[in-house]
Amino acid sequence: MFDTDILLQDTQEILGAVPVTLGMALTIFVLSTIVGSIFALVEYRRVPVLRELIMAYKIVFKGVPMVIVIFLAYFGLPPAFQFLLSLLGINFNAHETPNWVILVIAVTGCIAAFQSEIIKGALNAFDTGQSDAAHSLGYTNGQLFRRILFPQVVLTAIPDLTTSMMVIMKALSLGFAIEVVDIFAQSQLTAALNYYYLEAFVIAVVIYMLIAYIVTQIADRLEQALRVRT
Amino acid sequence: MIPELLSALPLTLAITFTAMFVGFCLALVAATLRVRRIPVVSHLTDLYVSYARSVPVVLQLFVAFYGLPLLVALMGAEDFFSPTIAAMVGLSFYHGGYLSEVMRPAYLAVDRGQHDAADSLGYTFRQKIARVVGPQAVHFALPGYGNSIIYLIHNVALVMYIGAADVMATAHLIMQRDYNQYQFETYLVLAVIYALMCLIAWFIVRFFELRSPMQAPEAMTTTQIKNALIASV
Repeated sequence: MFDTDILLQDTQEILGAVPVTLGMALTIFVLSTIVGSIFALVEYRRVPVLRELIMAYKIVFKGVPMVIVIFLAYFGLPPAFQFLLSLLGINFNAHETPNWVILVIAVTGCIAAFQSEIIKGALNAFDTGQSDAAHSLGYTNGQLFRRILFPQVVLTAIPDLTTSMMVIMKALSLGFAIEVVDIFAQSQLTAALNYYYLEAFVIAVVIYMLIAYIVTQIADRLEQALRVRT
Repeated sequence: MIPELLSALPLTLAITFTAMFVGFCLALVAATLRVRRIPVVSHLTDLYVSYARSVPVVLQLFVAFYGLPLLVALMGAEDFFSPTIAAMVGLSFYHGGYLSEVMRPAYLAVDRGQHDAADSLGYTFRQKIARVVGPQAVHFALPGYGNSIIYLIHNVALVMYIGAADVMATAHLIMQRDYNQYQFETYLVLAVIYALMCLIAWFIVRFFELRSPMQAPEAMTTTQIKNALIASV
Protein backbone atom coordinates (compact mmCIF):
# COMPACT_ATOMS: atom_id res chain seq x y z
CA MET A 1 0.00 0.00 0.00
CA PHE A 2 2.81 2.39 0.81
CA ASP A 3 5.29 2.03 -2.04
CA THR A 4 8.85 3.07 -1.21
CA ASP A 5 10.23 2.55 -4.74
CA ILE A 6 8.35 5.53 -6.06
CA LEU A 7 9.68 7.91 -3.40
CA LEU A 8 12.96 8.89 -5.07
CA GLN A 9 11.40 9.67 -8.43
CA ASP A 10 8.57 11.65 -6.82
CA THR A 11 10.98 13.57 -4.62
CA GLN A 12 12.91 14.80 -7.64
CA GLU A 13 9.74 16.00 -9.33
CA ILE A 14 8.39 17.75 -6.24
CA LEU A 15 11.73 19.37 -5.41
CA GLY A 16 11.52 21.02 -8.83
CA ALA A 17 8.73 23.25 -7.49
CA VAL A 18 10.71 24.46 -4.47
CA PRO A 19 12.57 27.37 -6.19
CA VAL A 20 9.35 28.76 -7.68
CA THR A 21 7.59 28.56 -4.32
CA LEU A 22 10.45 30.22 -2.47
CA GLY A 23 10.66 32.94 -5.13
CA MET A 24 6.96 33.72 -4.88
CA ALA A 25 7.11 33.61 -1.08
CA LEU A 26 10.00 36.08 -0.99
CA THR A 27 8.22 38.43 -3.41
CA ILE A 28 5.09 38.37 -1.26
CA PHE A 29 7.15 38.78 1.90
CA VAL A 30 8.88 41.92 0.59
CA LEU A 31 5.70 43.43 -0.88
CA SER A 32 3.55 42.74 2.19
CA THR A 33 6.24 44.06 4.53
CA ILE A 34 6.36 47.32 2.57
CA VAL A 35 2.57 47.67 2.53
CA GLY A 36 2.33 46.62 6.18
CA SER A 37 5.00 49.15 7.18
CA ILE A 38 3.05 51.93 5.49
CA PHE A 39 -0.11 50.83 7.34
CA ALA A 40 1.75 50.64 10.64
CA LEU A 41 3.29 54.07 10.12
CA VAL A 42 -0.13 55.58 9.39
CA GLU A 43 -1.49 54.11 12.61
CA TYR A 44 1.61 55.07 14.60
CA ARG A 45 1.39 58.69 13.42
CA ARG A 46 -2.42 58.69 13.81
CA VAL A 47 -3.22 60.12 10.38
CA PRO A 48 -6.93 61.03 10.64
CA VAL A 49 -9.05 59.47 7.87
CA LEU A 50 -6.53 56.92 6.58
CA ARG A 51 -6.38 55.35 10.02
CA GLU A 52 -10.07 54.41 10.02
CA LEU A 53 -9.81 53.08 6.47
CA ILE A 54 -6.92 50.83 7.48
CA MET A 55 -8.89 49.59 10.49
CA ALA A 56 -11.72 48.57 8.16
CA TYR A 57 -9.25 46.93 5.76
CA LYS A 58 -7.74 44.90 8.59
CA ILE A 59 -11.11 43.75 9.92
CA VAL A 60 -12.15 42.56 6.45
CA PHE A 61 -8.92 40.74 5.64
CA LYS A 62 -8.63 39.10 9.06
CA GLY A 63 -12.21 37.86 9.04
CA VAL A 64 -12.38 36.33 5.59
CA PRO A 65 -10.60 33.01 4.85
CA MET A 66 -7.70 33.33 2.44
CA VAL A 67 -9.19 30.87 -0.08
CA ILE A 68 -12.16 33.14 -0.52
CA VAL A 69 -9.93 36.20 -0.91
CA ILE A 70 -7.96 34.35 -3.59
CA PHE A 71 -11.12 33.38 -5.46
CA LEU A 72 -12.49 36.91 -5.18
CA ALA A 73 -9.23 38.27 -6.59
CA TYR A 74 -9.30 35.66 -9.36
CA PHE A 75 -12.76 36.69 -10.52
CA GLY A 76 -12.66 40.33 -9.52
CA LEU A 77 -9.20 41.66 -10.34
CA PRO A 78 -9.03 41.25 -14.14
CA PRO A 79 -12.32 43.12 -14.79
CA ALA A 80 -11.26 45.79 -12.30
CA PHE A 81 -7.89 46.23 -14.05
CA GLN A 82 -9.59 46.34 -17.42
CA PHE A 83 -11.97 49.02 -16.21
CA LEU A 84 -9.25 51.16 -14.63
CA LEU A 85 -7.03 50.94 -17.71
CA SER A 86 -9.90 51.78 -20.04
CA LEU A 87 -10.53 54.89 -17.95
CA LEU A 88 -6.94 55.89 -18.67
CA GLY A 89 -7.54 55.16 -22.32
CA ILE A 90 -5.19 52.19 -22.49
CA ASN A 91 -6.41 49.19 -24.42
CA PHE A 92 -5.04 46.16 -22.62
CA ASN A 93 -6.53 42.73 -22.16
CA ALA A 94 -6.29 42.28 -18.40
CA HIS A 95 -8.00 38.88 -18.62
CA GLU A 96 -4.68 37.47 -19.73
CA THR A 97 -3.03 38.37 -16.42
CA PRO A 98 -1.08 35.28 -15.36
CA ASN A 99 -2.63 33.45 -12.41
CA TRP A 100 0.48 33.67 -10.28
CA VAL A 101 0.31 37.47 -10.40
CA ILE A 102 -3.25 37.31 -9.07
CA LEU A 103 -2.17 34.88 -6.35
CA VAL A 104 0.71 37.17 -5.35
CA ILE A 105 -1.61 40.18 -5.14
CA ALA A 106 -4.27 38.31 -3.16
CA VAL A 107 -1.86 36.81 -0.63
CA THR A 108 -0.02 40.13 -0.28
CA GLY A 109 -3.33 41.82 0.49
CA CYS A 110 -4.10 39.29 3.21
CA ILE A 111 -0.66 39.11 4.78
CA ALA A 112 -0.18 42.92 4.75
CA ALA A 113 -2.99 43.23 7.32
CA PHE A 114 -1.14 40.90 9.69
CA GLN A 115 2.29 42.27 8.84
CA SER A 116 1.24 45.79 9.86
CA GLU A 117 0.25 44.38 13.25
CA ILE A 118 3.74 42.92 13.73
CA ILE A 119 5.47 46.14 12.72
CA LYS A 120 3.15 48.21 14.88
CA GLY A 121 4.05 46.02 17.84
CA ALA A 122 7.75 46.48 17.13
CA LEU A 123 7.28 50.26 16.79
CA ASN A 124 5.44 50.39 20.11
CA ALA A 125 8.25 48.46 21.77
CA PHE A 126 10.64 51.24 20.71
CA ASP A 127 11.62 53.43 23.64
CA THR A 128 10.58 57.02 22.93
CA GLY A 129 13.32 58.29 25.25
CA GLN A 130 15.79 57.31 22.56
CA SER A 131 14.15 59.45 19.93
CA ASP A 132 14.11 62.39 22.38
CA ALA A 133 17.80 61.82 23.02
CA ALA A 134 18.51 61.71 19.29
CA HIS A 135 16.57 64.92 18.71
CA SER A 136 18.44 66.64 21.52
CA LEU A 137 21.70 65.63 19.83
CA GLY A 138 20.50 67.36 16.68
CA TYR A 139 19.70 64.27 14.56
CA THR A 140 17.35 64.89 11.67
CA ASN A 141 14.32 62.64 11.28
CA GLY A 142 16.02 60.71 8.49
CA GLN A 143 19.10 60.09 10.59
CA LEU A 144 16.95 59.07 13.56
CA PHE A 145 15.15 56.55 11.42
CA ARG A 146 18.27 55.15 9.75
CA ARG A 147 20.63 54.99 12.70
CA ILE A 148 18.39 54.37 15.71
CA LEU A 149 14.81 53.39 14.98
CA PHE A 150 15.19 51.02 12.03
CA PRO A 151 17.93 48.73 13.44
CA GLN A 152 16.02 48.21 16.67
CA VAL A 153 12.60 47.74 15.13
CA VAL A 154 13.91 45.15 12.68
CA LEU A 155 15.55 43.21 15.48
CA THR A 156 12.37 43.18 17.58
CA ALA A 157 10.31 42.06 14.62
CA ILE A 158 12.56 39.18 13.45
CA PRO A 159 10.80 36.29 15.26
CA ASP A 160 7.34 37.36 14.09
CA LEU A 161 8.56 38.07 10.57
CA THR A 162 9.96 34.53 10.44
CA THR A 163 6.57 33.15 11.37
CA SER A 164 4.90 35.24 8.70
CA MET A 165 7.42 33.99 6.12
CA MET A 166 6.30 30.45 6.97
CA VAL A 167 2.66 31.53 6.81
CA ILE A 168 3.26 32.87 3.30
CA MET A 169 4.87 29.57 2.25
CA LYS A 170 1.78 27.77 3.49
CA ALA A 171 -0.61 30.30 1.97
CA LEU A 172 0.84 29.62 -1.47
CA SER A 173 -0.50 26.08 -1.21
CA LEU A 174 -3.96 27.57 -1.74
CA GLY A 175 -2.79 28.63 -5.19
CA PHE A 176 -3.67 25.22 -6.60
CA ALA A 177 -7.30 26.38 -6.59
CA ILE A 178 -6.42 28.85 -9.36
CA GLU A 179 -3.85 26.60 -11.06
CA VAL A 180 -0.62 28.02 -9.68
CA VAL A 181 1.92 25.23 -9.18
CA ASP A 182 3.82 25.30 -5.87
CA ILE A 183 5.18 22.43 -3.72
CA PHE A 184 1.74 21.19 -2.72
CA ALA A 185 0.22 21.53 -6.20
CA GLN A 186 3.24 19.77 -7.71
CA SER A 187 2.84 16.85 -5.29
CA GLN A 188 -0.79 16.62 -6.30
CA LEU A 189 0.06 16.67 -10.00
CA THR A 190 2.74 14.01 -9.52
CA ALA A 191 0.32 11.85 -7.59
CA ALA A 192 -2.40 12.24 -10.19
CA LEU A 193 -0.07 10.78 -12.82
CA ASN A 194 0.95 7.62 -10.98
CA TYR A 195 -1.82 7.22 -8.36
CA TYR A 196 0.64 7.10 -5.43
CA TYR A 197 -1.18 9.85 -3.52
CA LEU A 198 -0.04 9.26 0.04
CA GLU A 199 3.61 8.90 -0.97
CA ALA A 200 3.64 12.22 -2.82
CA PHE A 201 1.91 14.01 0.05
CA VAL A 202 4.28 12.58 2.64
CA ILE A 203 7.22 13.87 0.57
CA ALA A 204 5.59 17.32 0.46
CA VAL A 205 5.09 17.23 4.24
CA VAL A 206 8.77 16.44 4.78
CA ILE A 207 9.84 19.22 2.40
CA TYR A 208 7.64 21.79 4.18
CA MET A 209 8.94 20.76 7.60
CA LEU A 210 12.56 20.93 6.40
CA ILE A 211 12.04 24.41 4.94
CA ALA A 212 10.42 25.54 8.19
CA TYR A 213 13.37 24.17 10.16
CA ILE A 214 15.94 25.87 7.91
CA VAL A 215 14.12 29.23 7.92
CA THR A 216 13.85 29.21 11.74
CA GLN A 217 17.53 28.32 12.11
CA ILE A 218 18.57 31.16 9.77
CA ALA A 219 16.37 33.63 11.66
CA ASP A 220 17.77 32.54 15.02
CA ARG A 221 21.35 32.96 13.78
CA LEU A 222 20.49 36.36 12.30
CA GLU A 223 18.90 37.54 15.51
CA GLN A 224 21.86 36.41 17.58
CA ALA A 225 24.32 38.07 15.23
CA LEU A 226 22.43 41.37 15.18
CA ARG A 227 21.61 41.62 18.86
CA VAL A 228 23.62 44.31 20.64
CA ARG A 229 25.60 42.70 23.42
CA THR A 230 25.34 44.63 26.65
CA MET B 1 -29.08 31.39 -3.00
CA ILE B 2 -28.46 32.27 0.64
CA PRO B 3 -30.96 29.76 2.15
CA GLU B 4 -29.38 27.04 0.05
CA LEU B 5 -25.91 28.00 1.27
CA LEU B 6 -27.11 28.09 4.86
CA SER B 7 -28.55 24.59 4.51
CA ALA B 8 -24.96 23.32 4.37
CA LEU B 9 -23.95 25.31 7.42
CA PRO B 10 -24.74 22.53 9.98
CA LEU B 11 -22.07 20.29 8.44
CA THR B 12 -19.50 23.09 8.55
CA LEU B 13 -20.42 23.78 12.16
CA ALA B 14 -20.31 20.06 13.03
CA ILE B 15 -16.77 19.80 11.64
CA THR B 16 -15.77 22.99 13.47
CA PHE B 17 -17.13 21.89 16.83
CA THR B 18 -15.69 18.37 16.58
CA ALA B 19 -12.29 19.82 15.71
CA MET B 20 -12.63 22.31 18.57
CA PHE B 21 -13.41 19.61 21.11
CA VAL B 22 -10.99 16.90 19.96
CA GLY B 23 -8.31 19.49 19.25
CA PHE B 24 -8.66 20.87 22.77
CA CYS B 25 -8.15 17.41 24.29
CA LEU B 26 -5.17 16.74 22.00
CA ALA B 27 -3.69 20.12 22.88
CA LEU B 28 -4.00 19.42 26.62
CA VAL B 29 -2.13 16.14 26.20
CA ALA B 30 0.50 17.65 23.89
CA ALA B 31 1.10 20.69 26.09
CA THR B 32 1.41 18.53 29.22
CA LEU B 33 3.90 16.22 27.53
CA ARG B 34 5.99 19.13 26.29
CA VAL B 35 6.03 20.83 29.68
CA ARG B 36 7.00 17.68 31.60
CA ARG B 37 9.81 16.59 29.21
CA ILE B 38 9.52 12.81 29.26
CA PRO B 39 12.46 11.53 27.13
CA VAL B 40 11.17 9.97 23.90
CA VAL B 41 7.49 10.89 24.15
CA SER B 42 8.23 14.62 24.38
CA HIS B 43 10.34 14.55 21.24
CA LEU B 44 7.56 12.82 19.35
CA THR B 45 5.17 15.51 20.61
CA ASP B 46 7.58 18.21 19.41
CA LEU B 47 7.54 16.57 15.98
CA TYR B 48 3.73 16.47 16.00
CA VAL B 49 3.46 20.15 16.94
CA SER B 50 5.91 21.21 14.26
CA TYR B 51 3.97 19.09 11.76
CA ALA B 52 0.72 20.81 12.71
CA ARG B 53 2.28 24.26 12.53
CA SER B 54 4.58 24.12 9.50
CA VAL B 55 2.56 22.09 6.99
CA PRO B 56 -0.29 23.77 5.07
CA VAL B 57 -3.73 22.76 6.30
CA VAL B 58 -4.81 21.60 2.82
CA LEU B 59 -1.89 19.19 2.82
CA GLN B 60 -2.75 18.00 6.34
CA LEU B 61 -6.30 17.33 5.18
CA PHE B 62 -5.07 15.33 2.19
CA VAL B 63 -2.66 13.35 4.39
CA ALA B 64 -5.57 12.53 6.71
CA PHE B 65 -7.80 11.63 3.77
CA TYR B 66 -5.31 9.23 2.17
CA GLY B 67 -3.42 8.18 5.29
CA LEU B 68 -6.25 7.15 7.62
CA PRO B 69 -7.61 4.31 5.46
CA LEU B 70 -4.06 2.92 5.30
CA LEU B 71 -3.72 3.13 9.07
CA VAL B 72 -7.06 1.39 9.57
CA ALA B 73 -6.18 -1.31 7.05
CA LEU B 74 -2.92 -1.97 8.89
CA MET B 75 -4.92 -2.57 12.06
CA GLY B 76 -7.14 -4.94 10.17
CA ALA B 77 -10.37 -2.96 10.49
CA GLU B 78 -12.74 -2.00 7.72
CA ASP B 79 -12.40 1.36 6.00
CA PHE B 80 -15.16 3.61 7.32
CA PHE B 81 -13.71 7.00 6.42
CA SER B 82 -15.94 9.41 4.61
CA PRO B 83 -14.52 12.80 3.56
CA THR B 84 -16.39 14.39 6.46
CA ILE B 85 -14.74 12.16 9.07
CA ALA B 86 -11.34 12.64 7.43
CA ALA B 87 -11.90 16.41 7.55
CA MET B 88 -12.79 16.21 11.24
CA VAL B 89 -9.68 14.16 12.04
CA GLY B 90 -7.38 16.33 9.93
CA LEU B 91 -8.62 19.59 11.40
CA SER B 92 -8.54 18.16 14.95
CA PHE B 93 -4.86 17.36 14.53
CA TYR B 94 -4.17 20.81 13.11
CA HIS B 95 -6.10 22.59 15.84
CA GLY B 96 -4.57 20.45 18.60
CA GLY B 97 -1.03 21.20 17.50
CA TYR B 98 -1.77 24.88 17.12
CA LEU B 99 -3.57 25.17 20.45
CA SER B 100 -0.84 23.36 22.37
CA GLU B 101 1.48 26.20 21.38
CA VAL B 102 -1.04 28.60 22.95
CA MET B 103 -1.35 26.58 26.16
CA ARG B 104 2.34 25.93 26.78
CA PRO B 105 3.44 29.61 26.78
CA ALA B 106 0.39 30.43 28.94
CA TYR B 107 1.47 27.80 31.44
CA LEU B 108 5.03 29.12 31.41
CA ALA B 109 3.81 32.73 31.70
CA VAL B 110 2.42 32.09 35.16
CA ASP B 111 4.82 33.65 37.64
CA ARG B 112 7.66 31.32 38.59
CA GLY B 113 7.02 32.01 42.29
CA GLN B 114 3.53 30.53 42.02
CA HIS B 115 4.96 27.24 40.72
CA ASP B 116 7.58 27.22 43.47
CA ALA B 117 5.06 28.04 46.19
CA ALA B 118 2.74 25.24 45.06
CA ASP B 119 5.67 22.83 44.92
CA SER B 120 6.91 23.81 48.37
CA LEU B 121 3.46 23.25 49.83
CA GLY B 122 3.64 19.68 48.59
CA TYR B 123 0.99 19.91 45.85
CA THR B 124 1.11 17.13 43.31
CA PHE B 125 1.37 18.12 39.62
CA ARG B 126 -2.36 17.60 39.15
CA GLN B 127 -3.29 19.62 42.24
CA LYS B 128 -0.91 22.38 41.20
CA ILE B 129 -2.55 22.61 37.79
CA ALA B 130 -6.09 22.46 39.12
CA ARG B 131 -5.76 24.88 42.03
CA VAL B 132 -2.91 27.29 41.37
CA VAL B 133 -1.49 27.44 37.87
CA GLY B 134 -4.52 26.44 35.80
CA PRO B 135 -6.86 29.30 36.68
CA GLN B 136 -4.13 31.85 35.99
CA ALA B 137 -2.98 30.18 32.77
CA VAL B 138 -6.56 30.23 31.46
CA HIS B 139 -6.47 33.99 31.70
CA PHE B 140 -3.22 34.20 29.72
CA ALA B 141 -4.39 31.70 27.12
CA LEU B 142 -7.77 33.28 26.32
CA PRO B 143 -6.67 35.80 23.63
CA GLY B 144 -4.56 33.14 21.90
CA TYR B 145 -7.45 30.70 22.14
CA GLY B 146 -9.71 33.23 20.42
CA ASN B 147 -7.22 33.58 17.58
CA SER B 148 -6.90 29.84 17.14
CA ILE B 149 -10.70 29.47 16.95
CA ILE B 150 -10.77 32.12 14.22
CA TYR B 151 -8.04 30.28 12.28
CA LEU B 152 -10.00 27.07 12.66
CA ILE B 153 -13.07 28.74 11.13
CA HIS B 154 -10.89 30.05 8.28
CA ASN B 155 -9.48 26.62 7.63
CA VAL B 156 -12.83 24.85 7.69
CA ALA B 157 -13.33 26.53 4.31
CA LEU B 158 -10.71 24.13 2.93
CA VAL B 159 -12.48 20.83 3.65
CA MET B 160 -14.21 21.12 0.28
CA TYR B 161 -11.01 19.92 -1.40
CA ILE B 162 -11.21 16.45 0.08
CA GLY B 163 -14.87 16.22 -0.88
CA ALA B 164 -16.83 17.18 2.22
CA ALA B 165 -20.14 18.84 1.26
CA ASP B 166 -19.75 22.03 3.29
CA VAL B 167 -20.77 25.62 2.52
CA MET B 168 -17.95 26.13 0.00
CA ALA B 169 -18.84 22.95 -1.90
CA THR B 170 -22.50 23.95 -1.99
CA ALA B 171 -21.49 27.35 -3.33
CA HIS B 172 -19.56 25.65 -6.13
CA LEU B 173 -22.60 23.56 -7.00
CA ILE B 174 -24.79 26.67 -7.10
CA MET B 175 -22.29 28.48 -9.32
CA GLN B 176 -22.10 25.61 -11.76
CA ARG B 177 -25.86 25.38 -11.94
CA ASP B 178 -26.00 29.06 -12.89
CA TYR B 179 -23.46 28.47 -15.69
CA ASN B 180 -20.75 30.28 -13.66
CA GLN B 181 -22.34 33.66 -14.15
CA TYR B 182 -22.32 34.91 -10.57
CA GLN B 183 -19.01 33.62 -9.27
CA PHE B 184 -17.81 36.90 -7.80
CA GLU B 185 -21.12 37.56 -6.08
CA THR B 186 -21.29 34.05 -4.62
CA TYR B 187 -17.82 34.41 -3.15
CA LEU B 188 -18.81 37.76 -1.68
CA VAL B 189 -21.75 36.09 0.09
CA LEU B 190 -19.39 33.36 1.33
CA ALA B 191 -16.98 36.00 2.60
CA VAL B 192 -19.79 37.62 4.60
CA ILE B 193 -20.88 34.26 6.06
CA TYR B 194 -17.37 33.37 7.22
CA ALA B 195 -16.71 36.89 8.51
CA LEU B 196 -19.92 36.72 10.57
CA MET B 197 -18.90 33.35 12.02
CA CYS B 198 -15.51 34.79 13.00
CA LEU B 199 -17.15 37.84 14.51
CA ILE B 200 -19.48 35.72 16.66
CA ALA B 201 -16.59 33.56 17.87
CA TRP B 202 -14.59 36.69 18.65
CA PHE B 203 -17.45 38.20 20.65
CA ILE B 204 -17.85 35.03 22.73
CA VAL B 205 -14.15 34.87 23.58
CA ARG B 206 -14.09 38.61 24.24
CA PHE B 207 -16.98 38.20 26.70
CA PHE B 208 -14.99 35.68 28.74
CA GLU B 209 -11.87 37.82 28.54
CA LEU B 210 -13.67 40.83 30.00
CA ARG B 211 -15.31 38.73 32.70
CA SER B 212 -11.99 37.34 33.84
CA PRO B 213 -11.30 38.17 37.51
CA MET B 214 -7.71 38.98 36.63
CA GLN B 215 -8.79 41.91 34.50
CA ALA B 216 -6.90 44.27 36.86
CA PRO B 217 -5.07 46.96 34.87
CA GLU B 218 -1.64 46.33 36.33
CA ALA B 219 -1.91 42.57 35.85
CA MET B 220 -2.59 43.20 32.17
CA THR B 221 0.45 45.38 31.56
CA THR B 222 3.06 43.57 33.58
CA THR B 223 2.57 39.96 32.60
CA GLN B 224 0.76 40.00 29.32
CA ILE B 225 2.29 37.34 27.11
CA LYS B 226 3.09 38.17 23.55
CA ASN B 227 0.07 37.57 21.41
CA ALA B 228 0.62 38.86 17.89
CA LEU B 229 -2.14 38.13 15.45
CA ILE B 230 -0.46 36.16 12.71
CA ALA B 231 -2.31 34.56 9.85
CA SER B 232 -2.61 30.80 9.74
CA VAL B 233 -3.22 28.66 6.69
